[in-house]
Amino acid sequence: MFSLFKYHLRSVLVRWRSTLATILGLALVIAVFILVQSLAAGIEKSSSNTGDPRNLLVTRQGALAETTSVITRDQFNIIRYLPGVARDATNQPIASGDVLVIINLPRNNGTGNANVMLRGIAPTGRALRPQALLVEGRWFDPGKREAVASRRLAGRMANLQVGQKFKTGGVELTVVGIFDGQRSAFDSELWIDADEARSAFDRPDYSSLLLRPESDEALLQLKKHLEGERRLKVKAVREVDYYKEQTRTAGPIKWLGNGLAIVMSIGALFAAMNTLYASVGARTREIGTLRVLGFRRRSILLGFLLEGAMLSGIGGVLGCLLALPMHGYSTGTLGWETFSEVVFDFQITPILAAKGITFAIIVGLIGSFLPALRAARLPVISSLKAA
Amino acid sequence: MTIPSFIVKNALRNKRRAALCVLSVAASLFLLVSLLVVLNEFTNPPEDAGASLRIAVRNKVSLATPLPVRQRPLIAKIPGVEAITALSFFGGKYKGEENTMFAQFAMDPEQLEKVFGEAKLPREQLETWIANRTSCIIGVDTAKRYHVKIGDKFQLIGQIYPVDLDLTVVGIYKGTTDDRNVFFHQKYLDELTGDLGQVGMWWIKARSPEDVPGVIDRINATFANTSAEVLAETERAFQLSFISMWANIKVLISSICSVVVFALILVSASTMSMAIRERLRELSVLKALGFRRHELFAFILAESFGLAAVGFLLGAGGAWLLYSSVNAPTLTGGMFPTLDVTPRILGVAALVAAVLGVVSSLAPALTVTRLSVVDGLKTLD
Repeated sequence: MFSLFKYHLRSVLVRWRSTLATILGLALVIAVFILVQSLAAGIEKSSSNTGDPRNLLVTRQGALAETTSVITRDQFNIIRYLPGVARDATNQPIASGDVLVIINLPRNNGTGNANVMLRGIAPTGRALRPQALLVEGRWFDPGKREAVASRRLAGRMANLQVGQKFKTGGVELTVVGIFDGQRSAFDSELWIDADEARSAFDRPDYSSLLLRPESDEALLQLKKHLEGERRLKVKAVREVDYYKEQTRTAGPIKWLGNGLAIVMSIGALFAAMNTLYASVGARTREIGTLRVLGFRRRSILLGFLLEGAMLSGIGGVLGCLLALPMHGYSTGTLGWETFSEVVFDFQITPILAAKGITFAIIVGLIGSFLPALRAARLPVISSLKAA
Repeated sequence: MTIPSFIVKNALRNKRRAALCVLSVAASLFLLVSLLVVLNEFTNPPEDAGASLRIAVRNKVSLATPLPVRQRPLIAKIPGVEAITALSFFGGKYKGEENTMFAQFAMDPEQLEKVFGEAKLPREQLETWIANRTSCIIGVDTAKRYHVKIGDKFQLIGQIYPVDLDLTVVGIYKGTTDDRNVFFHQKYLDELTGDLGQVGMWWIKARSPEDVPGVIDRINATFANTSAEVLAETERAFQLSFISMWANIKVLISSICSVVVFALILVSASTMSMAIRERLRELSVLKALGFRRHELFAFILAESFGLAAVGFLLGAGGAWLLYSSVNAPTLTGGMFPTLDVTPRILGVAALVAAVLGVVSSLAPALTVTRLSVVDGLKTLD
């Protein structure tokens, strides 16, 4: 068996020109598959990477996202003084009422405007989200019309660098700092002071409420209490769970990736079959010789299947390598839940690469099956006679 | 034997290879056409008949921020404004659906004919709708998809608004570019939400196309430096701004298109040259018989061109047949109202097929023209 394997390996090397095109074609298919799927993986990663498991996020019942939620000031005051909410050094509850506003800002590359999520946040809110690290400038001062942008957003939108100003809701905001959300959903946000946001956008209420319970048991109790309290009509989930759910945008992208991969691989399949048929045809005599030497039909079949799998495996690996430079490249699109720009990056995970290579090998096996069958069925005598 | 029949016979000599070659070209062109259709939907949405007269007015902050109702009389008295309606995106879920893919809008029913005249609705249905505060009209696509008839109840669970709608279908319209939407009374929404005095947008019809720029300027100026500054723009500009939010998805699709084209050329060119290499001896015989280089080149070109053309007919033609016969909203889960294979897309696919025909004949043709007769005849393979 090993000698047969060596025969196929050498055959491939001898006929490298004709097989190279097939391998490259398949590599491109796999590269496209992996790139599109890595977008979905990027969105999922930034969602699953957001939040603190100790935090509880309270939104209006029925609201799918923070942006469409409303927490009134009364609700805010009832909830934050509930027993079980942790207190800070000054005995104030650690809870932040956030105001979320979608604002329309121009892109920095002149291709029109995009919706951006602006989060009005109290000083406690910042402490509750240690993921966001200041990398440039300073945090905004409460009571001033100042904003802090995420680094990735600042890289995509106009006028979001430190010292620049932008106008929205009739007020002018000055960017005083840049933060890094460390590949979380906060990378798509712009933060300002909550009270400034309420006055600038004429919002009497908050959008959501983030709080820190004293302990994990307290969290579960608070959650049960809040959802059982019919007067409040709120939903309470762990902050991390809320963000894990925010992956609807990834759905159609995955769908696109799979669809593309299937149609493209059908094209590649035909091409691979062509190459292998030609290779079987050219090797008719060699196959006859192998048979005479005592190799069974099924060994011949297996050998050609192996050859197909090997070629496509190389194609798969090459596809991964072609896709790899895009890993970590930041991009963005319209988020379905928030109706604003989500910034994320291509994430080529080992699982994705394995999926791509497996997919390639399956294509190779299917493509080589018919040619292999033909090779196995060649009559010995006439194949030896073949020119 | 005539020359054309010689070429056809040659192309079909190895029927399996010819078939596989055509099929791989067809699959790739099918994909290319599909991607271009999607790209076209993203960049170039279909335009309604009345679009040139319509103006969309939204809050300058963003589409998600509402507008105060007090703006209505101020806009209505601007010269050149013929009709105005509120249009509030409700964004509810239908029945137990996870993703509801049709939009629901609250508006002023009396203004439907004036502002969205292309929506065809029988007179008596329109009148019933205007008369009944909790009734709604639905697009024919949505009616078909959910098997909803006139007189049925239609319930929507609010996501953006904390209220649920309990509507009765009294009319089914068609004739717009997106016959999926559901329209109901703005008054009903106001009643449920406790009259917030807010609407989502204003949609305006100008008296004539010449009035449009002036009306836009005046609306923007009227509310400049108020607490609710607005952005008025033509329907077209509004749609395009919506699309520009998809951002890099467009770039992604176009780059995939080019990868597909490249892979296609690579693979097909290699198959073609394989077919020619097999025939080196014959071609040398032809050369020996006195056929000139350019004639041989023409044979090869005609053959690869022919295969590419059949692939184009199968792939692009298949895509065209498929997309014009399927119901686009159902197929795409409601993402695209239409899947339109435009002549331009077919043209691009034809061009790619033609380039493919030329490129894949280049390498073998070069080999053949350079080949000396003696060497060719010596080839055994």
